[in-house]
Amino acid sequence: MAAPHHVVVAPLLAALATAIATLLLRPLPRAQRAVSLLGGVAYAAGVAFLYRAVVADPDGYLVYALSNWEAPFGIVAVADPLSAFMLVIAAVVGLAALVFSVGYLDPADQTLAYHPLFHLMLVGVTGAFLTGDLFNLFVWFEVMLMASYVLVVFYSGPEHTRAALHYAVLNLIGSAVMLLAVGGIYAVTGTLNMADITARLASGAADPVPVLGLSAVLFAVFALKAGIVPFQFWVPAAYRAAPAPVTAVLAGVVKKVGIYAIVRLYFTVFAAATLPVSLPFIEGESFLAFFGPVMFAMAVASIVFGGIAAVNQPDLDGLLAYSSVGQVGFIVLPLAVAATAPDGGELMILGIAAALVYSLNHGIAKGLLFLGSGAARRATGTTEFAGLGGLSERDPVFAGAFFLGALALIGIPPLSGFFGKYLVFDVGVRAGSTAVLAVALIGAIFTIAYFSRAWNRAFWGEPVAYERKPLLVGVVAALGISLLVLGVGFDPVFRAAEAAAEAAVNRSGYVDAVLEVEL
Amino acid sequence: MTATYVLAAVLGLLYAFGTFLVLRRDLVRVVWGVTIMAQATNVYLVTMGGFDGSVPVFGGHGDHAAASVQDPLVQALVLTAIVIGFGTTAFALVLTYRVYEEHGTIDLQQLGERAPDAAATEEGGDA
Repeated sequence: MAAPHHVVVAPLLAALATAIATLLLRPLPRAQRAVSLLGGVAYAAGVAFLYRAVVADPDGYLVYALSNWEAPFGIVAVADPLSAFMLVIAAVVGLAALVFSVGYLDPADQTLAYHPLFHLMLVGVTGAFLTGDLFNLFVWFEVMLMASYVLVVFYSGPEHTRAALHYAVLNLIGSAVMLLAVGGIYAVTGTLNMADITARLASGAADPVPVLGLSAVLFAVFALKAGIVPFQFWVPAAYRAAPAPVTAVLAGVVKKVGIYAIVRLYFTVFAAATLPVSLPFIEGESFLAFFGPVMFAMAVASIVFGGIAAVNQPDLDGLLAYSSVGQVGFIVLPLAVAATAPDGGELMILGIAAALVYSLNHGIAKGLLFLGSGAARRATGTTEFAGLGGLSERDPVFAGAFFLGALALIGIPPLSGFFGKYLVFDVGVRAGSTAVLAVALIGAIFTIAYFSRAWNRAFWGEPVAYERKPLLVGVVAALGISLLVLGVGFDPVFRAAEAAAEAAVNRSGYVDAVLEVEL
Repeated sequence: MTATYVLAAVLGLLYAFGTFLVLRRDLVRVVWGVTIMAQATNVYLVTMGGFDGSVPVFGGHGDHAAASVQDPLVQALVLTAIVIGFGTTAFALVLTYRVYEEHGTIDLQQLGERAPDAAATEEGGDA
């Protein structure tokens, strides 16, 4: 066994240590906030170090065996370009939301539990991105969800308790179902290590037929976490109820954990099995041939439903919440094309890369917009369109930053969103699928429609009373600038996404790195 | 072998009962339903380990026959799942109480009739 790469768990430890420290520092609110911010910076630094280490590694895989128990017997944490890419999204959105929340929330509200919970949520997200063990993935999901339940019910008013109730009960059922599928996969394959499952499915040591059914059950759970239609119904209420910085992380990062799990498990692990599938409209030799059409149907439903519902919302938070449902459809759409493309081919890699670029853009842009919605609430007292107006006159910097976020989601060059949309269309063209192009076009038109409406109602018209909030607006503006920078310097971003997509389909590399055997 | 069939029937009944309770109007029953489903999953996990082997530590030592050993991993998994389930159940019950305090009812029909969108319009979140 090679020397352990301790840097793999650096972000995890940073977030965990901060969560504990902020819990202990409750008697000293100022010190607690300072430590929390420092912890956020340490987390981002840990992610940066890990990212550099992954890029510098010749294979691109860093494996950390917990307590030095060798895989597949012990639990491993695996950092590869895919998990490093997702961690960068978490670090950017998480740090911005953390700085924002210090200025946004009442200091007394922050004292009790906010900072420990926020960092524990990051712990769960990070663990889910890094783990190489299926049961461990379930545990990290639970860590993330437990923190998010409490953060959704944070204000505990009537609508917050109701929203948290929906959110918690749905996710508790989802967790039971996930555990069921994980247990079933263990019974069939005899292992929980993802690389070992891959190897056993590839060699035919495990029967692929039950694994297909169980992975379909698991898919429903991930779709619930990602808020894809028909599992989207918890999204609007939970996003409205949670404080704005928490919503930014829920929409920007926690949703992406579902997307990551789909990419990692279905493209890396389960696709190793060969199984002739023959159902109406579904034919092929691997699991992906089955999941491709399923993902396509869910992506189409998400884009159309999210778009129609977002156009007709009375408030900014609701509009953004339904917009996230639609935008997740845009992330799943290229994945659906990738799933039906030839295994490991150029189109599959491009499809996954398109989904990852879109995830990055959506994570930052939607984080920006939810934080902007929070800033508007603090500045004017409401996010209702009826009570908003003329913000562009009152605060041009804020309006400009919000405009950048909206343009990034619509997909205007030179923002990073343009490339996200462009790649989705490119994937559709290369696949020769008019259906994909038509759906993407409809979704793009809806995006323009609801953001035009939001802009008209909130930023133009009769100006309302407005109190300047420089810190909040500063965070929103910083995210806006990062969108611009990512768009102008897009080439390295695309190469990172491509490396992540290649890692997602490089099964032999993954198995070799974790188990040190040839697939 | 009979144990497998009995457990399969028990699991089916537990899931059916859990689903039935989740679909009730009374919020406390919904929480019970979720708990029963989680416990049914734990039973399922134990079942996945099989029933053919002997006690993991004891088998094959001393004069005992070198019998095949029961898979201990599923039991470790179930212990983890039980602890997580304990935490989530406690949270769900506290949340139920908070819902009762805020709304004066735990009837889901009545909770739903307080139109969610209208409530959100009143005061979108934090003021």
